[in-house]
Amino acid sequence: MAEQTQEQRKELETALARNPELAKQRVQTGVRELDEAADRRELARTWAKGRGLYAWLTNTEHKVIATRYIVTSFIFFLLGGIEAAVMRLQLARPESRVVGPDLYNQIFTVHGTTMMFLFAVPIMEGMALYLVPLMIGTRNVAFPRMNAYGYFTFLFGGLFLYGGFLLNVGPDTGWFSYVPLAGPAYSPGKRVDIWAQMITFTEIAALVGAVEIIVTVFKQRAVGMSLNRIPLFVWAQTITAFMIIFAMPAVMLASSFLASDRLIDTHFFNPAEGGDALLYQHVFWFFGHPEVYIIFIPALGFVSSIVVAFARRKIFGYTPLVLSLIATAFLGFGLWVHHMFATPLPQLGQSFFTGASMMIAIPSGIQIFCWLATLWGGKIRLKTPLLFVIGFIVIFVLGGLTGVMLASVPLDLQVHDTYFVVAHFHYVLIGGAVFPLFGAFYYWLPKMTGRMLSERAGRWNFWLMFIGFNLVFFPMHQLGLKGMTRRIYTYLPETGWGSLNLVASAGALIMTAGVAVFILNFLWARRRGEVAGDNPWHAEGLEWSTASPPADYNFVYLPTVQGRYALWEAQPDAPVVVGLKTDCREVLVTSVLDAEPGHIYQLPGPSIWPLMLAIATAVPFSFGIFTPKAFAVGAVLAFAAFFGWFWSNPDSENAEMRRTVAPEPPRTSAPADAARPPRPVEEGA
Amino acid sequence: MSAVRRNVIDVSEMPHHTFDVGEPVWWGNWGLLAIETTMFGIVVATYFYLRQNYQLWPPPLSTSPQPFDSLPDLTAATANVVLLLLSCLPMIWADLSARRGNQRGAQIALVLCLAFGVASMVLRAYEFRAVKFRWDANAYGSIVWFTLGLHAAHLLTTTLEAFLLTTWAWLREFDMKHRVDITVVAVYWYWVVIVWLPLYAMLYFVPRLG
Repeated sequence: MAEQTQEQRKELETALARNPELAKQRVQTGVRELDEAADRRELARTWAKGRGLYAWLTNTEHKVIATRYIVTSFIFFLLGGIEAAVMRLQLARPESRVVGPDLYNQIFTVHGTTMMFLFAVPIMEGMALYLVPLMIGTRNVAFPRMNAYGYFTFLFGGLFLYGGFLLNVGPDTGWFSYVPLAGPAYSPGKRVDIWAQMITFTEIAALVGAVEIIVTVFKQRAVGMSLNRIPLFVWAQTITAFMIIFAMPAVMLASSFLASDRLIDTHFFNPAEGGDALLYQHVFWFFGHPEVYIIFIPALGFVSSIVVAFARRKIFGYTPLVLSLIATAFLGFGLWVHHMFATPLPQLGQSFFTGASMMIAIPSGIQIFCWLATLWGGKIRLKTPLLFVIGFIVIFVLGGLTGVMLASVPLDLQVHDTYFVVAHFHYVLIGGAVFPLFGAFYYWLPKMTGRMLSERAGRWNFWLMFIGFNLVFFPMHQLGLKGMTRRIYTYLPETGWGSLNLVASAGALIMTAGVAVFILNFLWARRRGEVAGDNPWHAEGLEWSTASPPADYNFVYLPTVQGRYALWEAQPDAPVVVGLKTDCREVLVTSVLDAEPGHIYQLPGPSIWPLMLAIATAVPFSFGIFTPKAFAVGAVLAFAAFFGWFWSNPDSENAEMRRTVAPEPPRTSAPADAARPPRPVEEGA
Repeated sequence: MSAVRRNVIDVSEMPHHTFDVGEPVWWGNWGLLAIETTMFGIVVATYFYLRQNYQLWPPPLSTSPQPFDSLPDLTAATANVVLLLLSCLPMIWADLSARRGNQRGAQIALVLCLAFGVASMVLRAYEFRAVKFRWDANAYGSIVWFTLGLHAAHLLTTTLEAFLLTTWAWLREFDMKHRVDITVVAVYWYWVVIVWLPLYAMLYFVPRLG
């Protein structure tokens, strides 16, 4: 008899798996009596973080992993900032001797590499990994263990770069490491090898994060959150994730080609043997230009969220905003050659890329006007997050204007490799990404920590950064026009560049003070800040319906959504999702377009295998600079780690954890069975 | 107590798995394949970019008695293409068995897949030998070795994935989770075969077309 029911159960499982329509019919609606306190208790036990080092190393919960991403990349931001400050100190006056040329080369290379690869991309993904599951109403990302793996590879990559830098083998050929300078002939030693390998494996982390975000957004949205109701922030992060998928492979190839030219004597970039130095620039910038948008589009998501919350009205032009994000993402792939106008390219090619570069102003303009229109019709509260957004609009528009100028070949040739370009891209990147990021910190940190940051310190923070930033970078336009080339470690007094450089360096001091105010504000708020409550800004997103900070399981009952502005348009009798087990980590999978219930999805609990696999990844990429044999060793280790990953049953890990936390037997529901009556009302009461 | 009456959507009777578009891991796999396809796309672009630097592609051999016979040998390569295409048959069998819940079928089919995977990697070793230049001889040798190697790495990965699922299918319960996994690995396998067809054409026939 037992055999037979087993058999029947299997047949039913197969039938349901093969026919989603049949599965959909098994959803029941109605009114239930829910014992929220009991469910909370049990969920808290199931999702508990655990204590001790082992629990720390095995954690796979998205908020924990995302916090690690954010904290780690913020530390890299501070390190990159210190490097920038040293450069400003060196350039403050002519013929300065704070650092020598060799160290200066390392500093600007590590500064650029840190800011692009170890700060900007991971911190944006960190924000996404924290907020996206909360905004779409689920409990964890789609592949929690891959997520933990991504973090560890990113961390190892960063440590590898800085380990090299501290040992005086920091890369010294610029953040894009052009050949032939970075090739084996002109850069002997291990410096560029460290750069190339670090790129390859930190990009693994970016790619893992991107797939994570896409699948989570596609498959785990709250019931009712159809595609046209996704918050703009989530749109921005999803589009960015797609850009990462199509851009990052290029840089992985560029750095792999470079590493193999250096380590095993291939000739991809060696003109003497049929290779081509320009090939490197093409492959690199095919990634490098989209990279700018990979950093910038998430920031547009921050801006949209903040504008809506502080204008206290719905966004003006949701559809045009989404479409311009998508247009920007597409155009971003057609611009890479504008970084190469100083190379011998066909005229037709140059004109094409000039046109494409100018075209990017169209979607950017649409977005700026949509935000302005939203603010225009809103009841504005000028809090710190909105201040940063306004700062973003001002700075980014200035950076955009020089961008349109640089898109024209004759001007670009004139100012190529000068401080004009340095000014331009700092306006675009700091204005376009760092200012919105700080706005996002002020906006979402109360959610993450449960405490409000000080508004007064926030204003100091903003004005110091805003004034400091403009003092640093505005004079650089002029310096560039006067002929100061980038990456020079010093200059002569006769050049007449001294006074503007001094102004820029003074600005750097002010900007540093601004960042210091932020850190102090954060530390102060952690202890003494006003308690935030669930929704301090009366904002509309689902993340504001959770506790601050959110419980480990995010939502007691997965929410349903009735409109584009989940909380503003929530109906009082809106249903919640029940029937997910509380003694293991379950979420609901929904359909891609309309977010209708699809099936239950059991997520894995804590696991040590992500760390093991990350170590297996780090071995070939770090020891590979000494011997190619490390790759064979790494492959074996990686397979061993995969084997452990595959054979460790996620649910058993969950159960094991529950046993150590609480000895009582878990409450499970019987296996799915067609004949089983709906759960009785008394249950859980 | 804190019991409250609320409107609910009860999903407790819903299944834990569905095949294809319903399943997150199916999407995750496609994310990976999108990354890998992009990678191969750029490899192809690189191949043609380097091709521009040469009058003769591949360049003539300087040491051999027949200086113009530097074309890569077709035998092992073509045998491998046929083998890879045939390897889809047991994979389709494994795929269908997994969908139908036929454990025995999946077990046998997966073992056949493994045999095909290993045979294909052996033939790949001969393909490397059939290239008349080492990777460190010139840019032609570099890109050809790189392409062969990158695809071999995928071949190895998908064979190892199939190996893990084979062990599971033989040693453990034939549960829904791993049945879904088999259908997903099947997608990966088909992709490894399909992506090879243009690469094969590029590596072996672009030189012959001049």
